[in-house]
Amino acid sequence: MTTYILRRLLATIPVMAVVALFVFFLLHLTPGDPAAVIAGDDASPAEVDGIRRKLGLDRPIWEQFGLYVWNLLRGDLGTSIFSNLPVMTLVKQRLEPSLVLAVATLTVAVVLAIPMGVLAAWKARSAIDRVVMGFSVLGFAVPVFLVGYLLIYVFAIQLRWLPVQGYQPLANGIGGTLRSITLPALALGMTYMALIARITRASMLEVLSEDYIRTARAKGVATSSVLLRHALKNAAVPIVTVIGIGFALLISGVVITETVFNIPGLGRLTVDAILKRDYPIIQGLIILFAASKVLVNLLIDISYTLFDPRIRQ
Amino acid sequence: MAALDKTPSGAARADNTEPILSVRDLRTQFFTSDGVVRAVDGVSFDLHRSETLCIVGESGCGKSVTALSILGLIPREIGRVVGGSIRFDGMELTKLDEGEMRRIRGNRISMIFQEPMSSLNPVYTVGFQIAETLRIHQGLSNKAAAERAIEMLALVRIADARRRAGEYPHQLSGGMRQRVMIAIALACNPQVLIADEPTTALDVTIQAQILELMVELKERLGTAIVLITHDLGVVAEVAERVIVMYAGRTAEEATVSELLDNPQHPYTRGLIGSIPRRSTPGARKTTRTRLQEIRGIVPSLREEIPGCAFAPRCSIATERCTSQRPPLETHGPRHSAACWETAPSSALTATSPRS
Repeated sequence: MTTYILRRLLATIPVMAVVALFVFFLLHLTPGDPAAVIAGDDASPAEVDGIRRKLGLDRPIWEQFGLYVWNLLRGDLGTSIFSNLPVMTLVKQRLEPSLVLAVATLTVAVVLAIPMGVLAAWKARSAIDRVVMGFSVLGFAVPVFLVGYLLIYVFAIQLRWLPVQGYQPLANGIGGTLRSITLPALALGMTYMALIARITRASMLEVLSEDYIRTARAKGVATSSVLLRHALKNAAVPIVTVIGIGFALLISGVVITETVFNIPGLGRLTVDAILKRDYPIIQGLIILFAASKVLVNLLIDISYTLFDPRIRQ
Repeated sequence: MAALDKTPSGAARADNTEPILSVRDLRTQFFTSDGVVRAVDGVSFDLHRSETLCIVGESGCGKSVTALSILGLIPREIGRVVGGSIRFDGMELTKLDEGEMRRIRGNRISMIFQEPMSSLNPVYTVGFQIAETLRIHQGLSNKAAAERAIEMLALVRIADARRRAGEYPHQLSGGMRQRVMIAIALACNPQVLIADEPTTALDVTIQAQILELMVELKERLGTAIVLITHDLGVVAEVAERVIVMYAGRTAEEATVSELLDNPQHPYTRGLIGSIPRRSTPGARKTTRTRLQEIRGIVPSLREEIPGCAFAPRCSIATERCTSQRPPLETHGPRHSAACWETAPSSALTATSPRS
């Protein structure tokens, strides 16, 4: 068990190294002089030169990379070109709304999608199954921003149940936070739910045809217990895997959702940085997003051992 | 022994001559896109208390479906029991609802399956899987059920039962897993144990051990056993009475010695003839007899068969055999067969191919 976790942990190192390499060279792979690209079209040669020196672009490339990795390891993601603030500081300011949104979305998606998938598999080819699968197709097909605007129209503008946009920090009380995050989480969770419901159904259908399910029924186990205790735990590995894969969806979805709902999170920081070509911020965010994805997948890999004793080796 | 504490109640149980399980004209059908499959098409038999009854027949003749029908385990989306009666200890099982059936399954009628490798849930310990039945049916606490599960593992002769109870199925061999299945099935001391080809997937040496264990536990606990098999060797070893099934119907029913010595139905004769044997001890190659086979294959169960289902493969079939269904007729004490040609009423016209 410990060896398994250790092995998984070690496997994340090369992944992160490749990401760091890619992010570093991102700037150098863009055509032209990086300093000129950052400075923009109407910068004077002196300004370009200043930027070049400030970012250390005048030094040999491997030295630059070495310094970059060293700074990363110390938690230094560089300094924003425009605000002159450390990227880490900017990230910390914007982290809470995005984290709350991601956790809320994940929770909503998992809590709604897994029962939907289980129900659809149990009542396969019934009306319930068709409704769930129809919803799942819709969830994939309709873009996040459209769902977002529809939800705002119905629940915020027409029914006036929830705020139209904005974010209430946790410091002002969790009630306000939850109210402000409900619609964004639903909008963002739609695709995620569709994905999880579909995989849950497929995985459950496969498990329900197994011999040990027949054994459970022959033992006199109640249907609910057959589904949840005997089948779902066996179906869990593909489901948590897809939850991990879907985390990438979540990251890209956060950017759009935060724009639609005007939430001052990392997504908005990303969009603003791209528009202003603030490369250190873009690089820092890519590293952070990649690291969070790697971390989530590590947690998922470890969670397998909770579901399947055969993996604990 | 705690398992023997359960005392029978009710007038029906006190009467020991009454069969514990009585199946009459059972018919189970599957509804496929290609039409109706008559998997079980009029099977009847009685199972007496503490008796071992074998159901034999080729693959696809409805043995397993009969077993699943008794427990009400035919998946509702694909098939159901369409006729006949299953009486168990004074109750009509075909009329019980799902909740009532659930209280019988694993408690008063248990079942073990052919595939020990896949019949246990891979993500729970074997101890948990035995304890679960006890918690459901006997309302034992987790702790008491776990202790009882260890006793059951010891009962099915698994060494070091306490440690094994905490292991997962993938850590056990096939034979051990089948022992665990037996432990689960017998945990609540059922009146009937249905074993569907319990030894088919096991090594020959393990087969004998498992059969021996079943027979021994049957004697100790007084459980009646329905053993489904296609292996007449197994039948000869453990059965008291035998039902021969063909194409979803009862072909012949007799005590084991009567059936093996004096088979009446041509299908039974064919089955017995197809057992490989050495004619005389130490026989040379030249004296070996050719193995008899039954020509043809089991008929499709999609079409209604008006006559005897075995007629197309039978060497003594007549016109009547293909048009009229032969009734199960008595051939002697506790011996009956469904064959026009060997029936006592037509005994003079019948010519046994083996005589």
